[in-house]
This record gives sequence, C-alpha cells and structure tokens, in this order.
Amino acid sequence: MSLAAPRAFVRTILDRPSTAVLVVVIALGIGIAVGGPVIVRQIAAGLMLGSIYMMMAVAFTLTIGVLNFLNFTIPTLFMLTGMVAWGLSANGTVVGFAGPWAWLAALGLGILVAVVASLVVERFTFRYLKVRHGDATEHAIPLVSSLGFLLIFEHLVLIAMGSDSQRFAVPFKSDVHVFGMVLGLPQLASFIAAVAVVACLSAILKRTKTGRALRTIAESPDTASLLGVEVGRIVPVVFILTGLLAGIAGALFTVNYGTVSPFMGDNVGNKAIAAMVLGGIGSIWGAIAGGLLVGVAETLSIHFFGGDSVQMVVWGLLLGIIILRPKGLFGAASIGKGKM
Amino acid sequence: MDADPALVVSGVMKRFGGLTVADDISFAVPAGTRMALIGPNGAGKSTLFNLISGVYPLDGGTLLLAGRRIESLPQRLRVRAGLARSFQNIRLMPHLSVVENIMLGQHTIASGLGAQMLPLSWQRGWRQLAEQSLHDAGIDVDPDAEVSGLPYGVRKKIEVVRALMSRPRLLMLDEPAAGLNARETAELSTFLKSVSRDGLTLLVVEHDMAFVHDLCERTLVLNFGRLIYQGPTDAVQDDELVRAAYLGSRRVAATGGRPAA
Amino acid sequence: MAEAAAMSGYLSGTLAILCINLIFAYGIFVPAAAGQINLGGAGFQAIGAYAAAALSSLAGLPVAYTIPAAMLIAGAIGFLISFPVLRTRGVYLVLATFAFGEMIAGFLLRSEFFGGAIGMVVPAHIELPVLALSAVAVTVATFYLLATRLGLAMRAINDDEAAAAVMGVNVRAVQVTAFTIGAAFAGLSGALYAHNFSFVEAQYFNSLLSIYVLLFVLIGGTQTAWGPLFGSLFFTLLPELLRIGGAWRYVIFGAAIVLMMVVRPEGIVTRALVHRLFRRPAIPAAEMAHGR
Repeated sequence: MSLAAPRAFVRTILDRPSTAVLVVVIALGIGIAVGGPVIVRQIAAGLMLGSIYMMMAVAFTLTIGVLNFLNFTIPTLFMLTGMVAWGLSANGTVVGFAGPWAWLAALGLGILVAVVASLVVERFTFRYLKVRHGDATEHAIPLVSSLGFLLIFEHLVLIAMGSDSQRFAVPFKSDVHVFGMVLGLPQLASFIAAVAVVACLSAILKRTKTGRALRTIAESPDTASLLGVEVGRIVPVVFILTGLLAGIAGALFTVNYGTVSPFMGDNVGNKAIAAMVLGGIGSIWGAIAGGLLVGVAETLSIHFFGGDSVQMVVWGLLLGIIILRPKGLFGAASIGKGKM
Repeated sequence: MDADPALVVSGVMKRFGGLTVADDISFAVPAGTRMALIGPNGAGKSTLFNLISGVYPLDGGTLLLAGRRIESLPQRLRVRAGLARSFQNIRLMPHLSVVENIMLGQHTIASGLGAQMLPLSWQRGWRQLAEQSLHDAGIDVDPDAEVSGLPYGVRKKIEVVRALMSRPRLLMLDEPAAGLNARETAELSTFLKSVSRDGLTLLVVEHDMAFVHDLCERTLVLNFGRLIYQGPTDAVQDDELVRAAYLGSRRVAATGGRPAA
Repeated sequence: MAEAAAMSGYLSGTLAILCINLIFAYGIFVPAAAGQINLGGAGFQAIGAYAAAALSSLAGLPVAYTIPAAMLIAGAIGFLISFPVLRTRGVYLVLATFAFGEMIAGFLLRSEFFGGAIGMVVPAHIELPVLALSAVAVTVATFYLLATRLGLAMRAINDDEAAAAVMGVNVRAVQVTAFTIGAAFAGLSGALYAHNFSFVEAQYFNSLLSIYVLLFVLIGGTQTAWGPLFGSLFFTLLPELLRIGGAWRYVIFGAAIVLMMVVRPEGIVTRALVHRLFRRPAIPAAEMAHGR
C-alpha cells in the first residue's frame, strides 16, 4: 500500500497555522495535567516571557520573509526603547510632564525612538541596495550595514547613559488571581498586549492592501513592481513594523522586569532568533509558536536544571533544525517561498 | 567520426506542477551535424536544453550522449562525457576576467597534476590555448579585463568560446546570435562552421531563421513541449504543422504565407 | 629607557594582535571567496584555542605539537560540519554557522573539562616571531590557493554556482574544501592566541567576535586575497589611530561600516582595482581594431 497520499495529507496538516496553535495548546495541556500547580505557574511565567520573544521573533521573521534581510538591529531597537524611556524619566518626569502616567509616556516615546531609528536603518541600507553583478555574498550587504548600526546605536547609548543596569519604576504592582494562580498585573497585561499586537499584524497582512503588497514582495521579489506594488513605498513599512514590534517588546520587557540596561537586547535577541528558526524562517505563525515555546522551555528548564545548560542545548537543537528541517516545526506557512 | 549519433533523446518527459513542458520528445542528432532547434516562444526549447545538460532531472525517458546513458548523471559528469552549452542570458562569471572565464571552461580537461596544483599564471600553455581561441573567434579585448564591463555581443561570443574549451562532442548553444548585429552574426556563423569541421556536433536554439538556414542543415521544431518536425532545414517552412504552430491554423489558410522568423 | 621599552612592548602587542586577526580573517575569507558567509568564526577559533590549551596544559605537549594538532582538529570539525551545513544557502547558512558558533561557546562555558567559565591557563608561551611567521605563511598560502584552478573554481562558484557546475566544477567538493581550510585557519589563529595570551576563557569567543572578523573580511573585500590584509589593517589600526574617544571610536567604526556598504559594498579591494594597479593599462578595443 502506498504511503504517498497519507504522507501528503499529514504534511498539509502540519503546514497549517491552526496546527501550530493546537500543538502548543496540547503540549501545555499535557504539561499542566502532569505537573500540577507549580508547573502551571512556571508555564504561565514562560508564556509571558515568551510573548516578548514572540514579538521579536515576528520582527525577525517578517524582515527575512519579505526582504531576505537578517536584521541585527532588532535587539538594539528593543534596547533603545527601554533605555530611552529610562533616560527620559530619570527624574520622575518626562520632558516636563509628570504624573502617574509619566512612565507610559516615557515608554511611548521610547517606542517612537525605536521606529525612527528603524527608518534611519532603512534609509542607509535598503535605499541604496541596487542589484550589482550579484554574487553569493551580496545578500550580506544589508546584514553588514545592520551590524554597523548595531555598533552605532549601542555605543551612543553607552556614551549617553553609561553601562549600568537601571531601575525603571512602574507604579502599579497589583496581583491578579486567575484560575487559582497569582499573576502580576504587568505580566498579564503585557501578554495580552503582545497577543493583540500580533493579531493586528496578522490582520494587516491578510486584509489590507499594504499587507497584500508585503506578501507579494515576499513571494516574488523580482516581479513585485511589475505586479503593481510600489516597492519603494512598501519597504519602509516593514521597517516601521519592525520598529513597533521591537519597541513594544522592549516596553513590555521593561514593565515586566523593572530594569533596563544597554545589554538587554543581546540575550533576548538570541532567543528570538532561536524562536524564529524553531518556528520556521519566514513564517509569522511559526514565530508566534516558536516564541511562546522558547519562553516556556526557558522557565521550565531553569526550574528543573538551572540556567547554564540552556545555551548549548538550544543552539545545538537549532543547528539540527536548520539542517534537517529548515522550514522549522511549522512548515511552509511562510510569507514567501523558501528564500535562499 | 563516431558511428553513434552524438545525441539520442528518447521519450523525454517533464512536468512542472500541472504543466507538461516536455511531452514525449524523441530525436537523434547524427555526429558531426549542425542541427537547429526552433519553435515559438514558450515552446520549451531552453527547458529541453536544461533537461539535456542536467539542470532539471527527467520525469521520464532517456538520454544517450555518444552512446552513453547520461540522464542520471549530475551536470559536471555530463560535461566530462562531452557535453557543453551556453545560456540564453549569458552566464559568464562577472567578477572573473575574460581569460579566467575561458580557462574555467578548461576545467574538465586540465586534469594533470601541474594544471591542478600550479598557479594559473604559470600555465603558459593553457593560457595560450585560451588566448588563441579568443583570437580565432575574432574577439579582440584585453584578456585580463573583467567580463562585466564588456559589450553584449562580445560577451556572447566569449561564452561560446568558453563552452568550446572542454573539447566537447556536442555543443549546445542557446540563442547565440541574439542581440548581435548582421556583421557579428555572419562572423559567428563562419566561426561555428569552422569549429564543427573537426567533428563537433552542434545543437542550436535560434529565432533568426536566416542564421539557421546558413548554419544548420537539419532542424527540429518544438511547440508546447512536443516535437512537431524533424528534418532538413529547407523543408521546414513548407511543413503544415510548423506553419500552424507559428501562425495559427486559421491564418495558414488565409495567407498561405511563410511563418514568422 | 623605560618609555622605549614600554613603547616597543605596546608595538609588539599590537603587532601580535594584528597577526592573529589576520590569520583569523583569512579563515573567514577562504569560504567567503567561495560564496559562504561564516558567522560562527569564533566557534572555530575557540576550538583551536581550547585544543591547544588542553594539549598544552593537560597533556604537557610542546608548542610544535599543540599548534598543528589544534589546526587539524579545527579543520576536521569544519570538514564534518560542512556536509550538513553546506546544504543551506544565503540567510540560512548565516544562521546555521551562527548557531554553530553559539553552540560551541555554550558547550565550552559549561564544560568542566575545559575549565568552564573560569577558563584555562596555557603554560607554553610563544612570542611575536612565531605569530608573524605564521601570518606570512597563511597569507602566502591563501594567495597561492586563489591563483590555482581550485581558487578559480571557488571564485566561479561565488559568482554563479549553477553555471560553474555546467563548466564541470564539482561544486560540493570545492565548497567543502573551502570551508575546511577556513576552519583550519581559524583554529590556527585560536591556537596562536592561546599560546600568546597564555589564557583562554569561553566568554571571549562570543558572537561579537564572529561579527567583527566577518566585518574585517567583507569590508576588506572578498574578491582577492588582498582583502583580509586591508580589512585587518583597517580594523586593527584604525581604533589605535582614533584613540581619542573610547566608546566614540565604535560609533565612528559603525558609521564607517554603514558608509562602506553604501559606497563600496564589494569591499576596499576588488579584482578590478588590483587589475588596474598591477597591470599595464589595457588598450581600448576601438584602438586595437584600428591597429589591426
């Protein structure tokens, strides 16, 4: 009996975003059933941590999917939001604006700075990218530019604000009781916010003209302009979205942990890349699932094994995935075709 | 001359998704012949070249190169078996010089230890061979100039010379005259005739019918992935199927005219 | 007197770093010349450094053994890893090599055998002459490699992999060779670093190091073997020249990188530049036609 048909069927199932969601939910359900209330708390904490990774992973995957560009400034934009917010509110006021919501205004401005910085990156990378006599290393040109910007932004922050971690006070610290668990309000709020942002993004990609244009560029970069897409006007949109995603992630992280530092982007950035690869490079749903999984995996493994073993195992796993199943766990739900 | 035909294509099939781009194609190219492959745009000519040279695997059928089965060989081994080709959209290495591109073509035959281990600049003999071939083809440029800066017509000729370097049995050229002016086209025709005198078999995709008539004694006509004619070039225009393919059957009756070149 | 000694100490220190960086750069250059971006260079340097450190401190072997052995080990690992990794291309290859580098760093950090976070002391010491000699040898070897048909095949693959295959080049074999040689050179740089610095720690071989060396190479230029020379000089000397600044130096660095990618992304040294500098000027085609 031939296995071709059933295998193809399984593959189509695996490639659908709803499957990704279902897998995550089932895995968590099993974990909760087996582990009891302690595990539930770890998983909840993991989901909230993961919601931050998820947003960063989506930023990475969107940029690679549409522009074939591995954007190393994303963790820096994340860091900029937090540090700028701190810098603006160091005296308890924000540019003269005081009051109980000053911290929110500070974060808002931080996000704005991240978006502006992202557009600066766009101006000096993609604006000048012409197809020269392409060779195999040509795709690295914007990558190298982004590394240059990483150096610029990070060191400007170091100069302006020093290298220490700083506290960022968020006035409310109340707890919320959900399903018999005690969760911090900031954590819960940030999880909800992250889900909302990503849901919005998904809607934008599916329903708006801009979203369709983005998907067209992702699928056929060479013929996109022939198909009526104004590439020059759409590309900045990717960078704006990137700035928003990284900025909001940075804001949520700041609210959750109450500290910022010039190096806060590094660790989160690495995990976001890991999440992206896990979920499938170029796949938004994959980045969502990957981010949440990485968050939960991190809290659980710290709970059981302690912090150190994580790096080697995660990266080894990632290497394996890139080689064996580059589409990641959730298959070809990519924005564009497998980009080489 | 070999008794075997240079190329025997039997029952070749290829599908991309739902589209059949090669539909049971069979023909033979006798050794030493110059054969043209023509057909309307989208007929599958370049695809057939890609199937023969190994860019795409076959979905069915066999390929014999001078009597040897090649359809399961990777590209580089087909080259070693005596196949060489040029491309419709010129695929020279833009960052290599002219002579380096030509010497790259020598890759399969420069197998001696000296050729492999010594720097290129010490390989006088190989370099001279390359420069001589450039001269024979009427190409007068600085051999060390980077290829990317040269005019289109010159690059097209360089690609042909590069393909010849591997001393192939069968040379497949994909629109070698496209973009050349009348003088360059005539030079190319003369050059190809002189090269094929040594027993080289040519298979040429072309749209320029004057060039085809001048160079190739036999012609294949492809339409929608099917071979609709193989025979002498002189008789191509009189063939019903060919005229229908180029003009559409309604117009054959109306004009009774020649197919568009 | 003391000033002169301090000055020459400073100079020899800088030259030592330059030699090690140069060899490391060639280790990234060789695969890059064949079209492969390796963002895990620090991983291979770490392999060489720790192999040399372990052989020297745990097995007590002299430098004449540890350095070649370290180079071989790094090359062997590069060879093994190249088979799966080189099935990927483009961004995927960058991420795969990046993951490899992080994996190695993570492994070394928690490995008790290799000293973990504390690091390892390297008893045998080497001075500048050995470093300089090695740097010269690697430079000459790379120039030689690129001048052979293998080098030509590598450059052809970088330009157009599919067309190179049509010329009969065994693309896979050439790519694996380039990657392996690169890994060996990077491992050599690590071994030399270990014996010169006399201490190795895992935190040093991080992603930032991989990024720096890749920047050297891409900005120097991957078309000719002159690239890493200029890249290393640019990156090792420029910070020294821009001694005003501290953190500002990196800002200017970063800005220089962005500018380079806008103005001259193919790198400082291109094949065309070398051609123009070292050859007699070409007779324009029009004149040649008339001259016939």
